[in-house]
Amino acid sequence: MAINLKDLAINVVQKARQLGADQSEAFLIKSKDLSIDVSGGKVETLKLAEDMGLGVRIFRSGRIGFAYTSDLGQTAVDEIIRQALANSDKTSSDEFNSMPKPGGSYASIDLFDPEISKIPVEEKIDIAKSIEQAARQSDARITITERSSYFDAEYEVILANSLGISADYRGAYCGCYADLVAEEKGDNQTGFALKLTLNFSELDPLRVGREAAEKAVRKLGATTVDTQKAVIVFDPYVATNFLGVIAPALSAEAVQKGKSLFGGKVGQNVASEKITIVDHGALPGGISSAPFDGEGVPTSKTVLIQNGQLKSFLHNTYTAAKDGVNSTGNGIRGSFKGTPEVGTTNFYVEPGPYSSDEILKDISSGLYITDVMGMHTANPISGDFSVGAAGIWIENGKLTRPVRGVAIAGNILELLKEVEGVGSDLTFFGSKGSPTVRIAKMTVSGS
Amino acid sequence: MLSKGDLQEVLQLALAKGGDFADIFIEEKRTSGVGCEADKIERINSGIDAGAGIRVVSGDTTAYAYTNDLTKEGVSEVARVVSSASEGGSKGININLNKISSPVEFEVTSMPDKVNIDDKVNMVNRANKTAREFDSRIKQVSVGVADVIQNVVIANSLGDYVEDQRVRTRFMINTVAADEGVIQTGYNAVGGFVGFELFDEASPEVVASEAAGRAVKMLEAKPAPAGKMQVVMAAEAGGTMVHEACGHGLEADLVQKRLSVYGNKKGEKVASDVITVIDDATIKTKYGFFRFDDEGTPGQKTILIKDGILEDYMYDRLTSMKENRPSSGNGRRESYQDKPIPRMTNTYIAPGKDDPDKIIGHVKNGLLVKKMGGGQVNTTNGDFVFDVAEGYLIKDGDIAGPVRGATLTGNGPEVLQKVDMVGNDLGYTIGTCGKDGQGVPVSDAQPTMHIPEIIVGGTAHGDDGSPQIKRIRRM
Repeated sequence: MAINLKDLAINVVQKARQLGADQSEAFLIKSKDLSIDVSGGKVETLKLAEDMGLGVRIFRSGRIGFAYTSDLGQTAVDEIIRQALANSDKTSSDEFNSMPKPGGSYASIDLFDPEISKIPVEEKIDIAKSIEQAARQSDARITITERSSYFDAEYEVILANSLGISADYRGAYCGCYADLVAEEKGDNQTGFALKLTLNFSELDPLRVGREAAEKAVRKLGATTVDTQKAVIVFDPYVATNFLGVIAPALSAEAVQKGKSLFGGKVGQNVASEKITIVDHGALPGGISSAPFDGEGVPTSKTVLIQNGQLKSFLHNTYTAAKDGVNSTGNGIRGSFKGTPEVGTTNFYVEPGPYSSDEILKDISSGLYITDVMGMHTANPISGDFSVGAAGIWIENGKLTRPVRGVAIAGNILELLKEVEGVGSDLTFFGSKGSPTVRIAKMTVSGS
Repeated sequence: MLSKGDLQEVLQLALAKGGDFADIFIEEKRTSGVGCEADKIERINSGIDAGAGIRVVSGDTTAYAYTNDLTKEGVSEVARVVSSASEGGSKGININLNKISSPVEFEVTSMPDKVNIDDKVNMVNRANKTAREFDSRIKQVSVGVADVIQNVVIANSLGDYVEDQRVRTRFMINTVAADEGVIQTGYNAVGGFVGFELFDEASPEVVASEAAGRAVKMLEAKPAPAGKMQVVMAAEAGGTMVHEACGHGLEADLVQKRLSVYGNKKGEKVASDVITVIDDATIKTKYGFFRFDDEGTPGQKTILIKDGILEDYMYDRLTSMKENRPSSGNGRRESYQDKPIPRMTNTYIAPGKDDPDKIIGHVKNGLLVKKMGGGQVNTTNGDFVFDVAEGYLIKDGDIAGPVRGATLTGNGPEVLQKVDMVGNDLGYTIGTCGKDGQGVPVSDAQPTMHIPEIIVGGTAHGDDGSPQIKRIRRM
């Protein structure tokens, strides 16, 4: 099926207008994915995928209609254009419903490393195998591999609307992942590591293997601790998990709907002065970087919290119109199956001045948390969280023995204010990232 | 539409260079959804997603590929791609497809694609109105109804050929209550392998009132205690605990890869005598019901734990082939884009003998979990957590004030060994269970149960949450 997707986008936009849409938009994605899972030196799963689809959004008399299809044949495409129009009959009219006009220039960012698709599959299988080998060689207690993986993807995004936007870009990324188990005296503990990058040359499979192994081994023999108050340190992974809970509250949509704990607080101090939180849709090397967002608005860098002070929120075209500001280029589409909603791109806590050793140095007793469970149950609207945790006990500035089976609970706003230190080790896990973060004393629930 | 003859050719092609087993999963899925928030019908979306996935199993290796191109050429191309992962040459497997008919007679009475869009909008508006009028402190309401009609064709190199239609409808509401700077939320959802007859049993008003009531009640709640406590889980709390504490650990892929604490324990005592755990795909209309799993195996009822003894695990085709036994009909996938893996369906702890009121009545000091939220488990060591969406303190056998912000954390086998009372009731909840990046619809259920001690991850450390030690206060 050789379809010219750019022509298709333009045709869909025109057809929707002819059928009665005041404004129309076509969004197309075409992607190709490869993943290789290795376990025990053998390829367990080799997966190849090709996927494409079209999402049609229209506005008629201020009402929205949307429909999508993965079938790009004429019949299906015509059906969903009509369906999008029909869907708009019953939605509520809203004066701020509008698509963006062309305007602003798109950042020229290099998202496509041709190496990724040139490397033969056999070599990629060897990469997946080498992750596991590195892990097992680094410690004999690594005996089980849940997954040792290489994966990559290349994709093309095409967008057109009836106000004159017509744009496209292509990108690619690749990654390594390891999920391993260390075994000792009947105790089994897991460790994982992940590297996701736009450039094939930046992959370091051996390092991913060794890091996952180290994380699993250091948890062996973990025990619980008594319920007590202790200084808490989040490693970058755990801190990034917490950052994910804050993300929805920084969207203007949540603010406008009264669902954000930051609502009405621009200009106020909402976090410790050590905290600066940024969203940057054109970040060089960022996994979520793109020239434009899911509506065709140029991406940008938005400082949301600067030294503890709330500066602004993330906007798509709708929320910006409602607030009388410009879109920040955060109209995010997860796939062709959805409308552009306010969301984050490359979203991170800016690094601070301290090495991770310096962060621990003066802690007499505390918990360095490396694993949290149930983070998805944290409530981004109320900010309440209560999660299971595991990590390493800190005594006199040193990491001592492994801890598991404890829980920590609180409210994210309080947590932000209690940050005592931010490390220099900003680490990204996909599109979100954080350095090590130290929190003042919190209750650790144990036995 | 590909004929049986076409599929035979495609499967032969997939095995042309070797391989022990091949199957194809063709899917055409139509979705529709209506969403209301900020007192407006914000979206009506619909879509078509169609594609085919082909799998070739060759020794320990599975090759999988998929496409949106459902022409014979498109699907044959995918078969060629997956075949190239096999070595050793064709084993000369001769494929003759025979249709398997469903062992279960079941019909959806109100097909979602026949329901007028006005009626869908009306259901959503009714719930929105009820929640907003429930209490002046309800500040935001978001309601959604979503339905899926999935038509599948599944064929494999053993000659199995299955055609099936799955219809699921779900209805969700999230309410936000605010008062004096405190924000709390209340969520409720119903759904099943049903069409719009879903609303015959659960009216939008009832679903909405429960959600709004929860948000308002939690505004008045005190922080939950921290530390070890006696806990009673009400039947209406749902089945998140059975799902996390033992369900996942009984999936055969995790067991075979030595990633489960329940591995190699068939016939052993893994829970107290009062615990019987069942996975049953055949409970009609439940969210995890199906006639056939996503490998064409008929849905089954499997006793996993009986009176505390581990009886069996949940198998898909690949894990059952490794042990030379039949699949238990637990091979499921999110879509044609994913290979099937062992998954739960409708999973529950069987009701026991105790009167639920007496279970609560015998607790001097404890926590009553009235609604569970989400959960998570590390199957390797058995540690799990789940969120308490609505909880109350129990004082001298009576239900005292509400508490919020609690997670229960424990170790699956340890907690199941401790359960000492199981009620004669049973309460279901629905959910989307995630594993290896794939979400599938499930339901879980539990009777009222008493756990003599489990760690409660609240914030109030020391005693009963008295104000002076509330380290972390909400603003």
